Amino acid sequence: MNAPTGGSAAATRAPAASTNRRMNWILGGILLGLLNTFAVATYGALGVSRNYVVVDSLILRLFGSSYYNTSDYLSSYPASADWLLMLALGMVIGGFTAALIKGGLNTRAVPRLWKSRFGDSKAKRFAAAFAGGFLLLLGARIAGGCTSGQVLSGVAQLAVAGFVFGATIFATGVLTAKLLYRRMP
Amino acid sequence: MIATAYIFAQSASDAMSGIVGGTDARALIVGLLTGVAFGAILQRVGASSFEMIVNMLRLKDLTIMKFMFLAIAVAAVGIYVVSQFWPDQAHIGIAPLYLGGLIAGGVIFGIGWAVAGYCPGTALVAMAEGKLDAAITVLGGLVGAFVLTLIWDPVKSALVDPLNYGNKSVPDIIGAKPLLVAVVFAVLAVIFIMWLDRRGKGEAAEPGGRHGLLER
Repeated sequence: MNAPTGGSAAATRAPAASTNRRMNWILGGILLGLLNTFAVATYGALGVSRNYVVVDSLILRLFGSSYYNTSDYLSSYPASADWLLMLALGMVIGGFTAALIKGGLNTRAVPRLWKSRFGDSKAKRFAAAFAGGFLLLLGARIAGGCTSGQVLSGVAQLAVAGFVFGATIFATGVLTAKLLYRRMP
Repeated sequence: MIATAYIFAQSASDAMSGIVGGTDARALIVGLLTGVAFGAILQRVGASSFEMIVNMLRLKDLTIMKFMFLAIAVAAVGIYVVSQFWPDQAHIGIAPLYLGGLIAGGVIFGIGWAVAGYCPGTALVAMAEGKLDAAITVLGGLVGAFVLTLIWDPVKSALVDPLNYGNKSVPDIIGAKPLLVAVVFAVLAVIFIMWLDRRGKGEAAEPGGRHGLLER
């Protein structure tokens, strides 16, 4: 389907300086597959999106609201730390440490690719980042999981739900990205 | 029916089950360390990079797609080896197959994925790298999850309760041994990955192209 002209593939590749620091995707894929196996063999498969619900409950608790008890949805999840919430906290620590050691820390507001398509307005990028995050978690919680729980873990566990969700998000994501960046090489 | 034997109550999937994996000190520490490894792998591969994610969705650079498929293929075999030989250790949780919610939620998610340039997990990692827009995505996610709690009743009756076929797995449906299905699936996934890789190589045939399976 997508048949770019000769120069476009080269133009969209990241500069060598940033990719050379990266781990090979084959090694990364094998490590992540083994990690998910370890997770299933200990407490459960990897998942992220439900932690946004738990953090909402924790915030409500912090502000003295009892909504986390009265909402049917929130009360079906814990409002305290458990294995899966610690996993999300660990991801933040692991991401930070890996970036720190390998020189990947970067406090930029507007990604390069976004800048070349939509300009360098921080407000515009932040609005899109917020709206995108809103849709991500609204959709993930309707479906019962995200790229981690439904796709990485769900498909690996051969759950039909994972295949349906995975196919839907890739199809919609590709269509949306093609539309958003249609004038880009 | 076979698959129900593989579903363990204490980890009956993320989807609507409450506490996952336990709350004792050992569970919390193992969870934290598992997360550290998860975050570090995503960061090191570049899966938390806005450019890498958006260029995957634009079908310009399929590195992340190959990475994900390989991780899934390895985990599929690993998980069902564990469940075959150490069934008491396999905390498998098959998410319920409710078509309306999976497709509607998937469409909403897919749009958000392309707009944000992150998914819920990679946004956490990118935020940890210091990227401010990823922190805003996490904030948007907290609000999005909160808004769902306000509209949960109509969402549940329209999208979750109807067309709900329960916790269906592929081995369950075709009636084959889960480990066999996992191995066949993994082989097909690796063939697909190699095809993607060759296709990427062809597109990046210029000098310096480094999409090759055995390069780097």
